[in-house]
Amino acid sequence: MAYQLYRNTTLGNSLQESLDELIQTQQITPQLALQVLLQFDKAINTALANRVRNRVNFKGSLNTYRFCDNVWTFVLNDVEFREVTDLVKVDKVKIVACDGKNQVNDYFSHSSLIIRPSQ
Amino acid sequence: MASSANSNPVPKLYRSVIEDVINEVRELFLDEGVDEQVLMELKTLWENKLMQSKAVEGFHTEEQAALQAAAHQQAQQAQQATQQAQAQQVLLPPQQQVTSWQSTRPTVTSAPQQQVIVQDPKILQHMSATGMSAAATAATLALPTGVSPYHQLITSQGNLSQNCYIKTADGQILQFVRAANGAQYIIQPQQQMVLQQQVLPQMQPGGVQAPVIQQVLAPLQGGHPQQTGVIIQPQQIVLTGNKVQQNAQVMQMPGQPGQVQQIQQQVQQVQQAQGGAAPGPPQQQAKQQPPMMLQVDGAGDTSSEDEDEEEEEYDEDEDEDKDKDGGEDGQVEEEPLNSEDDVSDEEDQELFDTENVVVCQYDKIHRSKNKWKFHLKDGIMNLNGRDYVFSKAIGDAEW
Repeated sequence: MAYQLYRNTTLGNSLQESLDELIQTQQITPQLALQVLLQFDKAINTALANRVRNRVNFKGSLNTYRFCDNVWTFVLNDVEFREVTDLVKVDKVKIVACDGKNQVNDYFSHSSLIIRPSQ
Repeated sequence: MASSANSNPVPKLYRSVIEDVINEVRELFLDEGVDEQVLMELKTLWENKLMQSKAVEGFHTEEQAALQAAAHQQAQQAQQATQQAQAQQVLLPPQQQVTSWQSTRPTVTSAPQQQVIVQDPKILQHMSATGMSAAATAATLALPTGVSPYHQLITSQGNLSQNCYIKTADGQILQFVRAANGAQYIIQPQQQMVLQQQVLPQMQPGGVQAPVIQQVLAPLQGGHPQQTGVIIQPQQIVLTGNKVQQNAQVMQMPGQPGQVQQIQQQVQQVQQAQGGAAPGPPQQQAKQQPPMMLQVDGAGDTSSEDEDEEEEEYDEDEDEDKDKDGGEDGQVEEEPLNSEDDVSDEEDQELFDTENVVVCQYDKIHRSKNKWKFHLKDGIMNLNGRDYVFSKAIGDAEW
């Protein structure tokens, strides 16, 4: 299962809002909406992995850090994001990062037990 | 062209994701028995919200400029027309201007879509066929193309957003409808609108009547006693306010006199709630107010205080008679003081409410003393209200 991480983005939130509206007017069922969101997760994960090819550098000061359930959450202050083309400065930014190596755990977000086949 | 900057990859990426998702869920929709229309509506809603958020730059920029001019002209013309508007019945011509029902993408490259929320793929074909601007096309087609989706409107529990919307440069969402007499109407969401809908008891292919739009508050009682429905303002539809629920269900009901009264009452409630000056029947609700008003704002009256200070015997009698809340003289001065205790918090302490967020995956997080290094990948960033993406991000920070 793909990470549900990207649902809280502009793209993801607009999709959720649209689905909510359709549920409100009873044009779709909540079950169907959930299926759409799952499909969205797959699509956005694939798209980011395959269709995006750019690098960004950033520098700032770390305010807080948290590592829980294999998810890193940082809050940085006075950060500069630098791309080849332009520079973006922000006073505060929150970074939420899931493990990029294994995507197995996301579906069971509360489980810390990883069963690996022993050979 | 050595000077051309790198094009922003975000709009294309979002577009491709939307396309992928819509295509993948089409099967799911059909399995559930949900019509393709709803799928198209989902896509349209999705795209509109993206455009409205302004987080994506260049989502439809080139078409946007052309449409703005057209929308402005249409808006001016329609405003002039609406001032002349009265309650009218609209009869749709049995023949439709668009012939085919292909479920093509609403996003036709040649036709500007930025400010026209097109629900029906037929509209686009019409657009490209006649060469009209999207705004004009939406206006002209708002009613005729409302025929077939209107069928589904009635049968599939009312889909109010089948009409066409146009977003002007101000960001207002106006609903376009074209009456049979050629006049164009705009429904402006800020104004209190009561729309009359002709609901036929028998659904005949050629005899469906599209919604009638009135810009001014119109008494529902007059004019169409038999078949009257209510369509809520499009803004309410979009925001899915409470009233929409009531009236969305109203649309499902066939127009019968008994239910018309319910509709009228609901409309009156809507009007009342919005502070509109609806005539006649709302007075019935006004009668419910009790003739005696209990004063609950404290005993700060200036009328009889002078007498109270001199003769204390009167205080008890007057208090019992007037049934005010414990208004002793001492508290008169204190209450204004107490009211200063509230500390008003500034909710918007920052100019920009957007919290800058980066959602990504980490390859490696490294720390040495208080020096942190971040190796991130596949991220979407929202910084200062704008969206960015990256495949790799490397960062340094001191804690």
